[in-house]
Amino acid sequence: MNGLITDGVFWLFAVGSVVTAFRVFRTDSMMRAAFFLLASFAGVGGILALLGAEFLGMVLILMMAGEMLVMAIVMVMFMMNPAGLNPMWMVHQHRVAVVAGAGSFLALASLPFVVDLPDRPAPRPEEATAELGTELLGGSMLVFQTAGVTLLSAMIGAVVIAHRNGRFGEAEQGSLEPALEPPGEEKG
Amino acid sequence: MRDYASPGVAIVAVGAILVAGVYVLAVLDRLLGMIVAGTSIRLGALLAEPVQSGALLVLQERRTTERPDAAGWALAPALFGGLAAVALAMVPLDRDIVAADPATGFVVFSAAIAMVMIAIYLHGWSPNSAFALHGAYRYGAQALSFQIPFLLAMLATALPAESLSIVDIVDAQKSVWNVVREPAGLPLYLVVGVAVSFWGPLNLPDAADLAGGTVVEDSGLDRLLWKGARAAMLVAVAAMGAAVFLGGWWGPWLPGPAWVVLKTVALLVVLLASGHLLARVRIEQFVFVSWVLLIPLALLNVFVSGALLL
Amino acid sequence: MTLEAVLVVAAALFGIGLYGALSQQSFVMLMMGLELMINGGILALAALWSRSAGGNPQGQMLGVVFMTVMAAEMSLGFALITSVYRVRRADITEKLRRLKG
Repeated sequence: MNGLITDGVFWLFAVGSVVTAFRVFRTDSMMRAAFFLLASFAGVGGILALLGAEFLGMVLILMMAGEMLVMAIVMVMFMMNPAGLNPMWMVHQHRVAVVAGAGSFLALASLPFVVDLPDRPAPRPEEATAELGTELLGGSMLVFQTAGVTLLSAMIGAVVIAHRNGRFGEAEQGSLEPALEPPGEEKG
Repeated sequence: MRDYASPGVAIVAVGAILVAGVYVLAVLDRLLGMIVAGTSIRLGALLAEPVQSGALLVLQERRTTERPDAAGWALAPALFGGLAAVALAMVPLDRDIVAADPATGFVVFSAAIAMVMIAIYLHGWSPNSAFALHGAYRYGAQALSFQIPFLLAMLATALPAESLSIVDIVDAQKSVWNVVREPAGLPLYLVVGVAVSFWGPLNLPDAADLAGGTVVEDSGLDRLLWKGARAAMLVAVAAMGAAVFLGGWWGPWLPGPAWVVLKTVALLVVLLASGHLLARVRIEQFVFVSWVLLIPLALLNVFVSGALLL
Repeated sequence: MTLEAVLVVAAALFGIGLYGALSQQSFVMLMMGLELMINGGILALAALWSRSAGGNPQGQMLGVVFMTVMAAEMSLGFALITSVYRVRRADITEKLRRLKG
């Protein structure tokens, strides 16, 4: 009975997560795309919790909520048609992309059926969080520290790149408006 | 093994507590307003008023706008209320009375608080209305600023317990409450708690200067649900503050659950009084204070409570 | 919830992400594709950790590293979008014909 409920919840999360992930690229509004992506992440977070990696799942949701908000703000700031009042279809090399996506899905999805993966389930998923904590500040401390320093350098790099004043004066200097007509003069 | 109530019991219990909490909050808010204004208090009218205004909103006609995102609009209050329920489900009434006690209760609560900004953004964006979107952006700035001090202020409480489970955090406060251990924690948490459910001085997204902000297009049932969800979030924030800073069920004479309720109401009074006593803060001031003052203060709080434990 | 089922879901997320990253013109949509690919990676990792690696804590550690990668990718990506828009007024990849700043 318990296993049945777990299975049901898993398939709910799994189908929801895949369908919303697909809808990200099939909606008329970037804002909706961001919300769909967040829903997909929430589904994956749920599956992670079901698998016993509670901490990872919850941190994934926590992180993605902030990220989607930043994403939504960036979209309204810079992108055309964020509101979804007009149909949106902005793609290139579509056929290649479809083939690549479907091909990678088929290849990766067939792997677990081709390869003989060892069957060693985690013995105590309820202690996974404590084990992760010990691992973070024990055996893998160097990895953890490196991840922290990587994030710090990413933060500094992001501030430097996005800063208005570049090395050669104001970043807007010499910037051009985009051409209104598609074949117009090349800008930038 | 961690405690989990069976799903049916948990849903009914958390729902009932939320509805009762929202009612108590509405009455308290009204009462505090009367005390501050110095008007005479009529108890019957006071107790009936939340029900009356709720019924009025139910009967009111619902409005719509031109080309709204109907699904998002309907979903936003549900998401907000659901997040409040998730946050409240983490709060233990006693060592054995808790809806859910995952090993990562702290992270679940934080994730619920982080998702609130999505609920509010959705609510402000979906009606396709300028003022509502303004409100959503204000909450975006507000939320991105208070996230870090909020996480740090709460993180300090997990240090003495050496656990992320809320039950363990409360359990570790048997001799000393966290409010004594780390005096900076509770004020930080309260400031951020007001900001989370945008109440009183930090009610920027639904502010009057935006004609109601994200609720500007809501009427009738939509408005009632949104206000209810917002009040529920404040109840959840107060209950969690009572659990992690004021020692939850620990206290003399009374049984544990009574202490939790008392402490929650005490924090609610503080949070609600801010709305009647303090002027509204401008968004840029709040952002500045968050990044420049609250984050260093919260970091210092973590360092000091960590050093004391060594 | 067998290991195979979770891995197929992870593969589906990865495939959709790859499709998005290759086909979308808009920078932000392109980044969404990248995110989905990493997301699928995390899911596959957690599945193998929980069902096939005996719950070795280093598996979760790798998950934390994946999330670090995701966060770094997002922060630098948004910074580049801001910078590119400022200099070129570009919001889609087709407007970037030359790499010279």
